[in-house]
Amino acid sequence: MGGSGVRNLERRYRALLKVLPRWYRRDREEEMVGIFLAERDDDLDLEHSWPGWGETWAVLGLAVRTHLAAGAAFTGVPARVVWRGEVVRALGMLGLLLGLFYAMAAVVGLVAGPQEPWWRFLELAPVVAFAALLGGRRTLAKVAAAVPLSLVVIAVGSLEDSGYAVWWGMVQLPSLVTFVCLCLGFHREAPVPPARRLVWWGGGAVLVGVVGGLSAATGLFAVALITVVVRVVVFVRGDFVLGRALSLFALLQLVSLLYLVVPSGNLLVPAGFLAVLLVLAVVLPVRRRPKAAPRVA
Amino acid sequence: MSEQSFLVLTALAEEPLHGYAIVQAVEQLSEGRMVLRVGTLYGVLDRLVADGLAERDKEEVHQGRLRRYYKLTDSGVRALQAEVARLSANVRAASAVLRGRGVQAWVGRA
Repeated sequence: MGGSGVRNLERRYRALLKVLPRWYRRDREEEMVGIFLAERDDDLDLEHSWPGWGETWAVLGLAVRTHLAAGAAFTGVPARVVWRGEVVRALGMLGLLLGLFYAMAAVVGLVAGPQEPWWRFLELAPVVAFAALLGGRRTLAKVAAAVPLSLVVIAVGSLEDSGYAVWWGMVQLPSLVTFVCLCLGFHREAPVPPARRLVWWGGGAVLVGVVGGLSAATGLFAVALITVVVRVVVFVRGDFVLGRALSLFALLQLVSLLYLVVPSGNLLVPAGFLAVLLVLAVVLPVRRRPKAAPRVA
Repeated sequence: MSEQSFLVLTALAEEPLHGYAIVQAVEQLSEGRMVLRVGTLYGVLDRLVADGLAERDKEEVHQGRLRRYYKLTDSGVRALQAEVARLSANVRAASAVLRGRGVQAWVGRA
């Protein structure tokens, strides 16, 4: 295709399709251009028209799905693309589990502790997000996962000290990353995560969250310790996807921890030990099981 | 099953179709309510092929452009049957409720 007879509209559509990965374009570009230009034979149209917003938006959505190979099966997809998509989904799930931990810690804190602002009840949103995602209700899950981010806005508005607002924002960094991962990884065509297995993980996060509500330091320590232990197990099993996701997950926790501890000047031994554990989880190598075929859902 | 997948499967149930014909068939089946964008169409087709409900068929060149046909698999036929049964049961239930209120279930178009 192409050559000297190529009209401007076709050039523009081909330029738009460059947002798709090369392996996908190799298979589909000619077919897609054929549909874009079907029954369009008006000279003015072919020279001066541009791809519409709707088409552009749909192609951008397809680009996200194909670059992350998020759950969709394609022919000729490179293994690294499949792994990238699975890492994004795994990181999203880990973020939701961390959200469950914080939600339960908040509940216990609200029940046992002093009076808190009313909006702290919104911290329960990750519970809704987790349940919705396991039930296949992806949109509800994303909306609920966005709620902790709205807490940042409320916090910024209600706190007089802007430095404290920035601190609050950094502490919520895992929520932001979780939300982005859910949007990118769990779109309409992506598979529903395995509910039965994840319910157990969710239960564990809730239990640790209860501990966290009674003693924040112990809870955070438990989360970091579990992260490192699972990271080691995953390394031994040669699970590249979960290993990479756990590295990123530990890095997020590390950033939050530094923002929690450093401004307060409370550089105690437990915080330092916690940071060392998380650094270990970040830098531990990831390993691929020999001859592991990329799993395409 | 999303409405888009349902309509694409319905379109393919009659005969194998190429991409543009699927877009037209879906628009016709939905009486103009649903116009599939190309990016959306391929998202749906990728998923249907991944789930084994549809598969690639022949290819041809039409007016210098590649056309790739897609056809329904046996699993696709069964999935469509199951979805039709589910939707029909919903329609019957809703119709019965409306009749109970003395309202006719089908509103004719002007």
